[in-house]
Amino acid sequence: MRTLKGLLLAFSMLCVLADAGFTGELKGSIQIKGSDTMVNLAQAWAEVFCEKNPGVNLAVTGGGSGTGIAALISGTADIVISSRTMKEKEINKARENGIQPNEIKTALDGLAVVAHPANPVSKITIDELSDIFTGKIKNWKEVGGMNLRIVILSREVNSGTHVYFKEHVLRKGNEKSVEEFSPAALLMPSSQAIADEISQNANAIGYYGMGYISSKQKVIAVAKDKNSPYLEPVLVNVQNNSYPIARPLLIYTKGKPQGIVKAFVDFVLSEEGQEIVRKTDFVPVH
Amino acid sequence: MRTTTKQKIAFSVLFLSTLMVILPVVFVLGTIIKNGWQGISWEFLTSMPRDGMRQGGIYPAIVGTVYLVSLSIVFSLPIGVMAAIYLNEYARDNLLTRLIRLAIVNLAGVSSVVYGLFGLALFVTFMKFGVSILSGALTLAIMNLPVIITASRESLANVPYQFREVSLSLGLSRWQTIRHSVLPFAIPGILTGAILSLARAAGETAPILFTVAAFYLPKLPASIFDQAMALPYHLYIISTQIPNIAVKTRYATAMVLVGISFTMNIFAVIIRSRLRKKKKW
Repeated sequence: MRTLKGLLLAFSMLCVLADAGFTGELKGSIQIKGSDTMVNLAQAWAEVFCEKNPGVNLAVTGGGSGTGIAALISGTADIVISSRTMKEKEINKARENGIQPNEIKTALDGLAVVAHPANPVSKITIDELSDIFTGKIKNWKEVGGMNLRIVILSREVNSGTHVYFKEHVLRKGNEKSVEEFSPAALLMPSSQAIADEISQNANAIGYYGMGYISSKQKVIAVAKDKNSPYLEPVLVNVQNNSYPIARPLLIYTKGKPQGIVKAFVDFVLSEEGQEIVRKTDFVPVH
Repeated sequence: MRTTTKQKIAFSVLFLSTLMVILPVVFVLGTIIKNGWQGISWEFLTSMPRDGMRQGGIYPAIVGTVYLVSLSIVFSLPIGVMAAIYLNEYARDNLLTRLIRLAIVNLAGVSSVVYGLFGLALFVTFMKFGVSILSGALTLAIMNLPVIITASRESLANVPYQFREVSLSLGLSRWQTIRHSVLPFAIPGILTGAILSLARAAGETAPILFTVAAFYLPKLPASIFDQAMALPYHLYIISTQIPNIAVKTRYATAMVLVGISFTMNIFAVIIRSRLRKKKKW
């Protein structure tokens, strides 16, 4: 009897071990760090990925694209989420530390230009936007609105969204341009902070990723120039590249992804991962 | 003006000032409870966040804060109390001692974000603990040290001097005197100081921002070398980063945070009065 019990016990333990061997194929931990725009998306990916791979430990941290890229350079993050491409200088720095940054496009994001719902302005050109955010246009009536002073809301300099907006709207993609945000611009700590301020300030104009759009803000249609169509940041316009201020959402890995990092990247690019992109109000890459 | 009128005016002004002190407390607690109590449920306290933190609970943030606070006290209490004993019982009043006291007073005044950066430089980067519970707890411990030292020194100084004289006159050594005639009477004060400093540590965001806090972890941390979520930082991100989150979730999180500090403070008061009753002089 005792031997039988012993045998049963041994057998059941073997089952447990074998079981662990099968389900726990993937083990280890991944540090994901960077863009505040993408941090919600990364969280959604992590939530589902961990359900499927219980052996993997994931940690998602925000701080801004700049923070994430700095972490990649110093080697303290495995995966960096970034809403802007790495600069030449940053790539060289990473290489000096023996890290070859590997860029992967995971989603697209249209930058919405938003104002208070009561604001009558519904369309605007990139030139006008550039003049507003650099402080040359100071009153809403100059772009067809009411006689109100314009209050500029922007993200702070560590934000990839800030950098992208500066390079592609203020400087209109011209690398030699030195246009800067007006010193009067209010630098907000997060996109949600801009959204909250816009919803209660009739003078304000701001910008953020299309995931933050809600009924409390009015989205202004944007055109490349006076002769182009005015478009809103919606899925179709971003995916077919017609919306003028759309950007790729990237992840960077150290070299070609391997092991659990590869598993995560594959998941992100899989149909399920891209469905999560859609659900968090960004635009899938395919 | 008659003396009694002056007296009345003075009394009213003083009373109003006192009221002004309570008013913000009542207002803050009132707002938090009014907006947050509907969000509190067993599930909210004991489950992981789901659906981009809009659903589910704040369990990992509570656990993270408890881990951080407990580990920080393990470091700061012994060092703080020993330093206080040295300063109050052994140290002579010379230049070095005065410098140390000055340093402690200044440390208490340093803003918490500076501790955060210090922790990042020393523990995370230089000592290579990485962004981890250990780094965060050590940073909080250093931030708490001056508070614990000051509270411990005060309660040691409050033990009547005769206790020491009697003990020494009976031929006990200095250490025996401290161990048996001074320390037992100072413990209520020391504990109160420690718990109050913990309550403060539980609510701090800046020191943990760079040293431990994670935006999101699908699982609880498994060791002190893992990152952790923490309540104050969680409150910050759900208020600034997550679009379309229910207001009650934000306030309920605030309520839990305030609740933890509040409970600890009450706990401190109870311990103090219990131990006081036992040791009377």
